Amino acid sequence: MFPSYQDFYPYIVTGLALGGVYALSGVGMVVLYRATGVLNLAFGAIGAMGALISWTLINHTSFPDWASYLLCVVFGGLVTFAYGVIFGPPLARRDPLVKATGTLGLTLVLLGLMSYFWPPFGRTMLLPTSTPEYSYHIGFANVDVTWTQIIGLSFGIFVTVAVGAFLRYTKLGTAMRAMANDREITATLGVPVRRVEAVAWLGSGLLAGAAGLLLSDLVGLDPVGLTFLIVSSLAAALIARLRSLTVTLVAGIFVGLATALLTPITGFPSETNYQFSLSSYRGAAPFVIAIITLLFLARRRVVTISRTEG
Amino acid sequence: MGAAGAPGGTRSFWTRGRLSIETPTAVRAVVISALVLFVLLALPPLLSSYWIKVLTSVAIFAVVALGLNLLFGRVGLVSLGQIALLAFGAWAAARLFFLTDLPFPIVLLLSGVLTAVIGVVLGLPALRLSGLYLALITLMFAGLVAIVVPTTNFPNGGSGVLGHTESSSGGLAVRRPQFAGGDAAYFRYTVIVAAIMFLLALAHVASKPGRAWAAIRQSEPAALAAGINITFYKLYAFALASFMTGVAGGLYAGYAEKLYSYQFSGARTIDSVTLLATVLMGGIFSLWGAVIAAVLQQMLPALLQNWFGFFNTNPDFLLVIFGVGLLQVLVTAPEGLVVSVPRDLGFLFRLASRAASRAAGRGNEA
Repeated sequence: MFPSYQDFYPYIVTGLALGGVYALSGVGMVVLYRATGVLNLAFGAIGAMGALISWTLINHTSFPDWASYLLCVVFGGLVTFAYGVIFGPPLARRDPLVKATGTLGLTLVLLGLMSYFWPPFGRTMLLPTSTPEYSYHIGFANVDVTWTQIIGLSFGIFVTVAVGAFLRYTKLGTAMRAMANDREITATLGVPVRRVEAVAWLGSGLLAGAAGLLLSDLVGLDPVGLTFLIVSSLAAALIARLRSLTVTLVAGIFVGLATALLTPITGFPSETNYQFSLSSYRGAAPFVIAIITLLFLARRRVVTISRTEG
Repeated sequence: MGAAGAPGGTRSFWTRGRLSIETPTAVRAVVISALVLFVLLALPPLLSSYWIKVLTSVAIFAVVALGLNLLFGRVGLVSLGQIALLAFGAWAAARLFFLTDLPFPIVLLLSGVLTAVIGVVLGLPALRLSGLYLALITLMFAGLVAIVVPTTNFPNGGSGVLGHTESSSGGLAVRRPQFAGGDAAYFRYTVIVAAIMFLLALAHVASKPGRAWAAIRQSEPAALAAGINITFYKLYAFALASFMTGVAGGLYAGYAEKLYSYQFSGARTIDSVTLLATVLMGGIFSLWGAVIAAVLQQMLPALLQNWFGFFNTNPDFLLVIFGVGLLQVLVTAPEGLVVSVPRDLGFLFRLASRAASRAAGRGNEA
């Protein structure tokens, strides 16, 4: 049955929280794409592996919890940085498709390692901010809001603003914006191109780790699932045409809300017994949004010429 | 534009590789037909039923890989949704088998044509999307199919549009051709169909469409200026590749006999990526690359599981190998294994023979 509007309240909360994290990853992808021309499709896999590492440290060692969470973020930064330093320069002058395909190689490697070290098995990640003592009850909507959800949304907004300011007001940020326009000319002007790129890789990797940690709590600690959550943030980044950070934020929240709000729509009564449940297709929402965006972006184009095509 | 003449020193992915248009010389034709005859006649009695099944799936995936090989290598279009198309082809074929009494080859043709229609619909955006965005939209399509398939399920002989029944009395096996009911006979049947698909590809590559594709791949504006109908030939490539994938889907339905949605579920969306990795590793500038890609994707896991217990318990570890292989191909060897292995072996051989002759020369002096 189609639910009443009150049924949607809890999903507005989860949608906003997810949307914040999607925006966070979206910003990470856009910044990296602008600075290096690489669309990092391994973003989700990196976060997933970081989350698995921190899950292992928490559950199987006496390692302090806060250090494990930190390590997840650091791992994201290190792996992305290493990939960027090793494979960035040799692929720098190839077209964006080849660069993105390279990150698919990284995705395969990470997925293989994850299924080797962490065989399929129900794992749950519960951040300390998700426990009942850190949650608020909103009376009129009868909804519990956890700190993790608040962090998800506010961190997404914070990162968008902070990265925007960084690109606008710092010397390094200016260099990144210049490289987004033209890598060769920027290099000619004396900007250490590779060093700036390395910083971009590291920064976006740290965001990948943070997003992976938050999503493993908000969505679930499933390597393949987290790897393909990339699509939600990718949809946000594409709506922003891989340019605007503000649009990425808004689009990320939109994607999060759209996915979450489909959950209570469990079925429509029909003439036959067959029940069509929109809820079971909610995972498809980001894909549909991304496809529509891509088609919209491509309108009025006749011949495809990319600037970097050789 | 010459093979190496990329402007501004920019190395394009396609101009670096050696482009071999397979010219059917007499010698080559004889060698290849001898090889096919060997596979058809001598191989099945030599192998256990397990290896026959493995080789059947190699033949099926060679056709899938061939579709991507044509799209990527000849036209320069990347599709990450080929496994989703395979799922659609298998679904259409299974439905046709249960609904009608049509003979097997007709069902194969029909599922190919239906998949080609889907491919053309998917290909329409390809007219306007450049490389990266096309890859993304096809990846989205693959993800979409991976979500829809487990929710709707594969037809197993039930009633209704979807043809799926949960009851245990359902679950009919997809029928195979009458004369190819056994595994060995079905293997021969699959190889023959695959060979026909390769001939179809060869016929296209070596004639007018192949030349048009080559022009589009080099430069779209130049192809347009030369009077090539870009729209038509891009869609044609999509239709052809999807047709092949649909036929492979029909073969797959007969091979698996019973289709389950987990074969094409969300966890297997990565198969489309693995396919791209193996096709690139095999080599996209030669049709043989598709055969190598299928061997890598379907036979290598079985071989490794036989040789090393490690892979028996960790089959997904192969993803690491494919990931590394993909990166290696992108960075150092865009032409793939089909060119680099013979070249490197030749280099090793020359090195060895030079060392041997030097040693012999020293021996003579002494």
